[in-house]
Amino acid sequence: MSKTIPIQADGSAPECRPIAEPERSLWRKVIDNIANHCRSRSLFVLHYCTGCGAIELPPAITSRFDSERLGIQPMVTPRQADLLLITGYLSIKTLKRVILTYEQMQSPKYVIGFGSCTINGGMYWNSYATVKQLRHYIPVDMYIAGCMPRPEAVQQGFLQLMERIDQGNARSWQEYYKNYDEYLGNQQALFGTDWHTPTDVIAEAKHYQLITDRTTGEHTKHLDKFASRFLTRSTQGAEFPRQEHVA
Amino acid sequence: MTQLPERLALVFKEIPHLTVESTGERRLRVKSRPEALPALLGLLKNQAGYVHLSAISCVDWHETDEFELVYHLWSYELKMLVSVHIDIPKKPGRYITVHDIYTPAAFFERDIHEMYGVYFEGSPNLTPFILTEWQGPPPMLKSFATEQYARETFESVDYSPEWLQEIEAQGGKFVQ
Repeated sequence: MSKTIPIQADGSAPECRPIAEPERSLWRKVIDNIANHCRSRSLFVLHYCTGCGAIELPPAITSRFDSERLGIQPMVTPRQADLLLITGYLSIKTLKRVILTYEQMQSPKYVIGFGSCTINGGMYWNSYATVKQLRHYIPVDMYIAGCMPRPEAVQQGFLQLMERIDQGNARSWQEYYKNYDEYLGNQQALFGTDWHTPTDVIAEAKHYQLITDRTTGEHTKHLDKFASRFLTRSTQGAEFPRQEHVA
Repeated sequence: MTQLPERLALVFKEIPHLTVESTGERRLRVKSRPEALPALLGLLKNQAGYVHLSAISCVDWHETDEFELVYHLWSYELKMLVSVHIDIPKKPGRYITVHDIYTPAAFFERDIHEMYGVYFEGSPNLTPFILTEWQGPPPMLKSFATEQYARETFESVDYSPEWLQEIEAQGGKFVQ
């Protein structure tokens, strides 16, 4: 059965009512609010643990403290997860895997750093093999203090993150696209300039309309040699109209 | 320990210049010359039932400019640990593999090569093992300044909360 298109008396198709900009932004706001509210109530935590915080998660997730009351449950694949927990120190080797994982997660994505190790190296402050500040390599939404934090503190952190997502304040994932050049530069300082991931971050930034003048730069130029017709990388990214960076 | 098990005593008699010392009820510390070690391990494995090489450890002796390699062997029959110590000069830092006697030695040698830079001739695989991202010198060497490296490579967050500023204003400071 074919769908009938209503025709006006003069035979012309009806025009769509133009939506005024204030109205459009109001609708967007309403929908964003609903979406944020829903997001904050169903967080999937990636089943990935480093360091000693891993041992605090079983009680936090299972029946003792039961994160599922808050809508938080573990998820086994990064592509379906919203929340990445960095539960302790990261060696340089682990950091590589964390970045690969983080880039595979779908936006919006959130990162929580556990304990002092993710803030300033913690007890590994003078180690040659561990990363000192996590926020140099991936954007972090919040830290939970402690060495390690107890499950109560973890729950409290989850609640605070949910509140921030609900209010639309947990937007660190956008920083990664906006300042990709800087993050990539810090990663290259550890892994060498041949470091590249399968994820086309610049194309994603383009998709989310988050390209700024700091998305591409001297560090993303090194990605050019890995560009293919499947991967945008920086050359094409630079052609895309950029937004002014808002600090 | 009063007396060595007969099988062990027979093995130790075969190798010249050994010093055997008991360091516990079931522990023997054996000091050997580097060139005699493969023969000693072969005898221990075949004649005394020491089938298990549990670890090879390495010590960097700064004062004498030597690496000390320690081969820890365990016998499930005698239930006694034998640690064979040898010293090799730090330059050129080469030794021979015992992979042909104990297969797991390949892992330990690869690890020691990575952490101390000792080259084991004949070892099947000495490519980077754990530190695949590492470009610097072997990090376990005493001459490697870990803290300085960490300070130069990584940035630290400045930590000066109000309570610390107050203490510092009165002439106090952190004591490490």
